[in-house]
Amino acid sequence: MSGTKLPDAGSLASRGMSCPVPAADGDRVLLGHGSGGKLSAALIRDRFLPRFSNPALAQLGDGAAVDLGTERMAISTDTFVVSPLEFPGGDIGLLAVHGTLNDVAMMGAEPVCLSTGFVLEEGLSLTLLDRVLESMAEAARQAGIPIVTGDTKVVERGKADGMFINTTGVGRLRDDFRPAPDRACPGDAVLVSGPIGRHGIAVMAVREGLGFEVDVESDTAHLGPLVENLYAACGAQVRTLRDPTRGGLASALNEIAATSGVAISLAGKVIPVPVPVAAACEVLGLDPLYVANEGVLVAIVAEEAAEAALKALRAHPTGGGAALIGEVREGPSGMVTLRTGLGGSRVVDMLPGDQLPRIC
Amino acid sequence: MCLGIPGKVTEVYGSDGLPMGMVEFGGVRREVCLAYVAEEVEPGDYVIVHVGFAISRVDEEEARRTFKLLEELSELDELEWMKEVAEQSLAGLEAPDPGAGRNRSGGNTP
Amino acid sequence: MKFLSEYRDPELATALVKRIRTLSTRRWTLMEVCGGQTHTIVKQGILDVLGDAVEMIHGPGCPVCVTPLEQIDRALHLAGRPDVIFTSFGDMLRVPGSECDLFQVRARGGEVQVVYSPLDALELARAHPDREVVFFAVGFETTAPANAMAVWQARELGIGNFSVLVSHVTVPPAMTAILESSDNRVQGFLAAGHVCTVMGWEEYEPIAESYRVPIVVTGFEPVDILEGIWMAIRQLEEGRSEVENQYARSVRRDGNRPARDIVSKVFELVDRQWRGIGEIPMSGLGLRDDFAAWDAEKKFDLQEIRATEPEECRAGDVLRGRIKPIECAAFGTTCTPENPLGAPMVSSEGACAAYWGYARYRGADAGGEEAAVKSTELRS
Repeated sequence: MSGTKLPDAGSLASRGMSCPVPAADGDRVLLGHGSGGKLSAALIRDRFLPRFSNPALAQLGDGAAVDLGTERMAISTDTFVVSPLEFPGGDIGLLAVHGTLNDVAMMGAEPVCLSTGFVLEEGLSLTLLDRVLESMAEAARQAGIPIVTGDTKVVERGKADGMFINTTGVGRLRDDFRPAPDRACPGDAVLVSGPIGRHGIAVMAVREGLGFEVDVESDTAHLGPLVENLYAACGAQVRTLRDPTRGGLASALNEIAATSGVAISLAGKVIPVPVPVAAACEVLGLDPLYVANEGVLVAIVAEEAAEAALKALRAHPTGGGAALIGEVREGPSGMVTLRTGLGGSRVVDMLPGDQLPRIC
Repeated sequence: MCLGIPGKVTEVYGSDGLPMGMVEFGGVRREVCLAYVAEEVEPGDYVIVHVGFAISRVDEEEARRTFKLLEELSELDELEWMKEVAEQSLAGLEAPDPGAGRNRSGGNTP
Repeated sequence: MKFLSEYRDPELATALVKRIRTLSTRRWTLMEVCGGQTHTIVKQGILDVLGDAVEMIHGPGCPVCVTPLEQIDRALHLAGRPDVIFTSFGDMLRVPGSECDLFQVRARGGEVQVVYSPLDALELARAHPDREVVFFAVGFETTAPANAMAVWQARELGIGNFSVLVSHVTVPPAMTAILESSDNRVQGFLAAGHVCTVMGWEEYEPIAESYRVPIVVTGFEPVDILEGIWMAIRQLEEGRSEVENQYARSVRRDGNRPARDIVSKVFELVDRQWRGIGEIPMSGLGLRDDFAAWDAEKKFDLQEIRATEPEECRAGDVLRGRIKPIECAAFGTTCTPENPLGAPMVSSEGACAAYWGYARYRGADAGGEEAAVKSTELRS
């Protein structure tokens, strides 16, 4: 019967003009390098680490522990480049204060103070600047942490997306509370402090020009009080704390699994995802596991402390939706898997770069 | 080729000569072009949306019918399991674990 | 979400799996045509749940994966032009061309923007009359009505600074091509539910009859897919080869008439290259002459751009269901999600990307460095 015969792929037309962009592959910074996924990890591992190498840095936590003699100091820095500057539930200022306070808290440290540096774009509205500064002041006030020093620069129109903010936080480390990314052990419980995906969806809805309205606000919050509750309830049994920002829950867990040399197994059904976040993800073809959060923490605690930890999280409003979502296993090292609602399994891998809306 | 999501039409209007609508997907809202379902759709109906276009109106009657069939399948399983439990306990054996009952595959092995 | 969540019910899924296992007297081999169906199968762990009952071969239903290398290179060229705003669905951004991808073009200053709908691209053209807006019109028949409407509206509204770079393919010729292969193992198909929402299923009837294969038009949620598999196996066990419709809540036999009308006014059937497979005659859509003014291939000089595939890339064999991704020598070694050789490793539902996670789970160590070891282990 007649039909279509498939020709050799090799019989295609010979090579002529190729992509006209001159330089060789991989010689430029890509957006993916900032996404918190594999490209980011490679950039840091291959270019930054070898040049700055020292034991504190090698830990690759969100912050570093530095010995001051009688005390140990925690220090963490973060730069905020979100666009738009204001979004449902917050603004860049709130992120800047909460984000760094959270990184310090994830090390188990008591925050002491913040510094902040601004890069302002020529032409930025001063009223907007005021709103952002007010947000920062209020957030710092509520946390009881002073912003003790700062710096401001202005760059030409077009060079700073409105404004970029860097904040650095300093904290006091405690001897009896040292959560770290390499401390997860087989048998440990994996907890999340609340529903995931809110920040990323809230921002995406207004940024990408994708034209969606969502009933979702950023979850940006200071997680310090949650961490204090965990410390009071479980102390040294808290192995790892991490706030899953860029790259979402999946990236954070992949990093922890790799750093600790363990596997993590999740129960898909119990991971809390708010309905509008799930709906937005369905429509855009996104996976909530990779969407950014700014007011959620992941806690890996010893098995016997799981119940107490859950209770401690739920005792605070920010942790009201806390859930036990999985456990740590022997291996394969670095692997994160998830049991689906149907009882099947899937691997939750690190993405190479940012997650993109898809049509397929 | 593929990502088509069901949503509820909440408003219908015209724009640039095209029938458009607001569609709600569980807490997410977007403007959708209704040009391809205009004849059959009004507010309250569900449509399948792909890249901002409604490509079909969800046939709720059809959906109900096939869903019912599936539910009956599932209930049949439950009845079978209950029957097995009854038979085995009559035979004096231990009843199988209630949780495991639903996941047993019965019948011929392929 | 209504009409979505119900089709993820684990109890219904379990009941269907049980029926499938009970019904099969042998291990049948089915192909799900659509990438979105592959995505669900992998993401929901359906292969685990099915176990050995059925072999699922992932078909070439990934318009991203089959867009020819040349067309990607043309897209990259256009995106690099300073007078162009290049718009695209998100899926296309990481697909590798001969030298780079759209992300890298953006890094070098090209203006590349992700849009959700082709009408958004048209809006962009209206908002920027001093720039040329090009939209990468990729897809199967599902997306053709949307892309057609964007072009139609451009003409209606007199928007001249808008054009589309077309890479549309149609499903039935691909299915026929697969069935014609001498080493074809596919015994039944799950046809793409949203393609058929637009096109109906009339054109599949002659295929089912000539090649004596059951074809079940299937949806995208786990219960849909399992029900589709069950219906296909039931046909095979009963010796039938018909077209059946599992996705009755969305698909009718003649599909969506108004959509098909606009598509045939704007597009016509043309021969198309399928990346990694080659040319399949009359398997694609191209803009009709009436709409030449909105055809990026006519508006811009793109004729000189030609390309050949990297030899190692066996995307074609994977897309035809001839080999599983892990059987490709480059899998996990020179070809990984960060450095893909071909589109099936990039696209989120491309078979190779789907297997990347799945194969690793099946028993090897994590980490790209160990990929070489594991891919040997898995093959032996």
